[in-house]
Amino acid sequence: MKNNLKTIFIITLVLVFAFSFGVVRAETPQEGGDLVIGIGENPDHLNPGITTSYPVAAVTANVYSGLVWRAEDGSPQPQLAESWDVSEDNTVFTFHLKENITWHDGEAFTSEDVKFSFEEVLPEFHGRFQDVHEFIEDIETPDDNTVVIALTEAYAPFLVSLEVYDAPIMPKHLLEGNLDNISEADITVEPVGTGPFQFVEWERGDRIVLERNENYFDDNAYLDRVLFNIIPDSASRISALETGQIDYLWGFYFPRAEIPRFQDDPNFEMWQGVRIPALWFAFFNLEHPELGDPLVRQALMHATDRDLIIELTQEGLGDYNVGPMGGAFDLTYFEEYDYSNLYPFDLDKARELLDEAGVDELDISVVVDPNRDDLMGAAEIMQDLYSQIGVNLSIDTQERAVMIESVYENRDYDLSLQSFTSGGDPAVGYHRLYITQEFGTPFVGATGYSNEDVDRILAEAATIPFHDERKEKYREAMDILSTDVPLLVLYEEESVDVNDVNLRGLRQGLDVRSRLDKVWWAQ
Amino acid sequence: MSSSNSGGRSLGQYALLRIAQAIPLIIAIIIINFLLINLAPGDPITALVGEFPVPAEYAEQMRTEFGLDQNIFIRLVKYIGNVFRGNLGFSFNYRIPVLTLVLGRLARTMILMISSIVFATIIGMLFGILAAKYKNTIIDNIAVAFSTIGYSIPVFWSGQILILIFAIWLGWFPSGGLQSIRADYSGFQFYWDRAIHMILPMLALSLRYIALTTRVTRTSLIENLSSDFVLAAKSRGISSKGVLFRHGLRNSLMPIVTIIGYHFTFIVAGSALVETVFGWPGVGRLLYTSISARDYPTLIGILLIVSIVVIIVTLLTDIIYAYIDPRVKYE
Repeated sequence: MKNNLKTIFIITLVLVFAFSFGVVRAETPQEGGDLVIGIGENPDHLNPGITTSYPVAAVTANVYSGLVWRAEDGSPQPQLAESWDVSEDNTVFTFHLKENITWHDGEAFTSEDVKFSFEEVLPEFHGRFQDVHEFIEDIETPDDNTVVIALTEAYAPFLVSLEVYDAPIMPKHLLEGNLDNISEADITVEPVGTGPFQFVEWERGDRIVLERNENYFDDNAYLDRVLFNIIPDSASRISALETGQIDYLWGFYFPRAEIPRFQDDPNFEMWQGVRIPALWFAFFNLEHPELGDPLVRQALMHATDRDLIIELTQEGLGDYNVGPMGGAFDLTYFEEYDYSNLYPFDLDKARELLDEAGVDELDISVVVDPNRDDLMGAAEIMQDLYSQIGVNLSIDTQERAVMIESVYENRDYDLSLQSFTSGGDPAVGYHRLYITQEFGTPFVGATGYSNEDVDRILAEAATIPFHDERKEKYREAMDILSTDVPLLVLYEEESVDVNDVNLRGLRQGLDVRSRLDKVWWAQ
Repeated sequence: MSSSNSGGRSLGQYALLRIAQAIPLIIAIIIINFLLINLAPGDPITALVGEFPVPAEYAEQMRTEFGLDQNIFIRLVKYIGNVFRGNLGFSFNYRIPVLTLVLGRLARTMILMISSIVFATIIGMLFGILAAKYKNTIIDNIAVAFSTIGYSIPVFWSGQILILIFAIWLGWFPSGGLQSIRADYSGFQFYWDRAIHMILPMLALSLRYIALTTRVTRTSLIENLSSDFVLAAKSRGISSKGVLFRHGLRNSLMPIVTIIGYHFTFIVAGSALVETVFGWPGVGRLLYTSISARDYPTLIGILLIVSIVVIIVTLLTDIIYAYIDPRVKYE
């Protein structure tokens, strides 16, 4: 709440200034110029059809296209598909593709590419397409510009899952025959898509260059080129932004501690907000003798000052008034299941619950990736607070590759700090945290939590395309989850982006990385 | 180093012998590194497929494509065989042959390193000579203080300070990177652009080398200047300049050559930090990112190639000794 007031105040201030200087006026987009975006890692490759890794998606999201793109409000908008018809029971989708679309190599794009991507590529190689794939019964291509997809039953996030991040359409003519050796296929390092920008070069570890696709199926992009500058060190990334070497940094690569440095600088524009919710939390290992007891988990919820963690590790950006699936999705948020109401920070109450559970002292450890300063900070705060209720929390630093093994594959941990994206819909990114999981699968709930009712309710919720009915299902799930507390939910993140103040048209899609074709330079 | 070897090998024979001796060493390096890296916890495949669960078959396919499905000893034997055929494998994370990747990166690191060493040796010797000549004066004190500070400042800090002053405040140099990211220069402009990008990282890297060279030059020069043969030279009426350069400095070159060679043995360790701070895509940074990604072929490739470079540099140092110091003979 305090944050909201602050944001409103800042926005008002900015608007007053803007009007008084006559900055806000109708501007006509201009063509030309380069946009340089700083990224923190060299992508492993440039094939978005075979990974969900962040840098790969970030670089290729404007090279490839999906059937739809998601506008700022999250609604699906036509991209490769001009329009679509939906059967009454929400199980048959007929997509009418735009005509005369070509791949960057000049080959014609047809419905066969869609069918091939959805049947041969994405189900085999793409993490986020797995759920969608389970619902697809059949794909027909009556002609070059029509794709008919029949689902086994309704799947609520179906349409929104067809955007470029979840279901990029890949060129059949370049992938066919390469699927058995996809790692070394040309297309994996030299992307050929249908998007507004086409690939020029990738100087590994240094930069990736894209240029405007002059034959784009929508209005051509304004920018001549988009360049990605790979700068692994965050302090150097910030220097590069300050000196104008790069123009734009996404929240993922912008260290929050630098907010004060850019907040009042007139050369930069800072954007804060939540577009695609992401949850920060700790897994409890439910196989641990004490942590298996819900009372102990509730006690630790009470003992965690989540507001303090946000203040100290996130520069105050983030929302701790959240339930088991965060607070940003109206679908899954209920005040009565808000952890701030159920388990407010209260060390006495925490101690009481431990007594009730018969736990006098507890020695546990938390697995943290030492490269993530914010998670390390959270772990230290938790350590300090827990020590006051007789819980000795030791911090076990494990770099990512080791953490994946010990947490997911061996379940050899007590607590583990993580952050997961929702993928734009609770069914896409959050269900996996709570449903019963096969042992040893990475990037799902690692807790060992298994509740038949939760499994059933969430499966049903995924198939209800109507908001209110679906929300009622989530109410049932939250009722169980907020008592069982399989995760120590910390907060939902708030993102912060910084860009050169002369850039226009940024952040038009739900994902701030998409639609760079609409970006232009005011000078 | 004995002075009474009658037969006396030629330089070429000596070099060949040394190289032949290095081969078993290199094989040992490969085996140890291969085993250590492959037995470390962490799986390269999970890092490659993204942050959502993928079908088990995909992970298996990746394992097969990268040859990770075989027994570690079979992989080791195959790897050694491939190395002798000049094939160091294919990088998981950069999707190009490791040899191309590492040599490209090593070239960038070496450019940075060699220019820093040349710069630092000139400046360091100059400081050292001044300090020795004006021993126990204010000049000497400044030089000693500078070398103490220069040696103790960590490069990630001095690098950031250089960026702050010369890139952000003064705007004279770019803050980092290999080249102007927006530019597509050719010819002279291309080299000029690369050169100005190199200046700050070179300075940052030089600081430590200058400090070390200053110290070594000063100490050994002071020692030589008070030795008997210098006294003798002085008594013969040779000018103090002549004594300083011909007698003092010439005899101080040995330890300077030694530390130049010594700098090279820290190619990776010395460059990793500076390359990270200045976004310089060299071999040090490559090593760092390959470790976190568990890019086995690249990791082993870097360690192997760097070991070879160190062996060659050590050999060259030994050969240079012989030129400078008539007491050294090949054996």
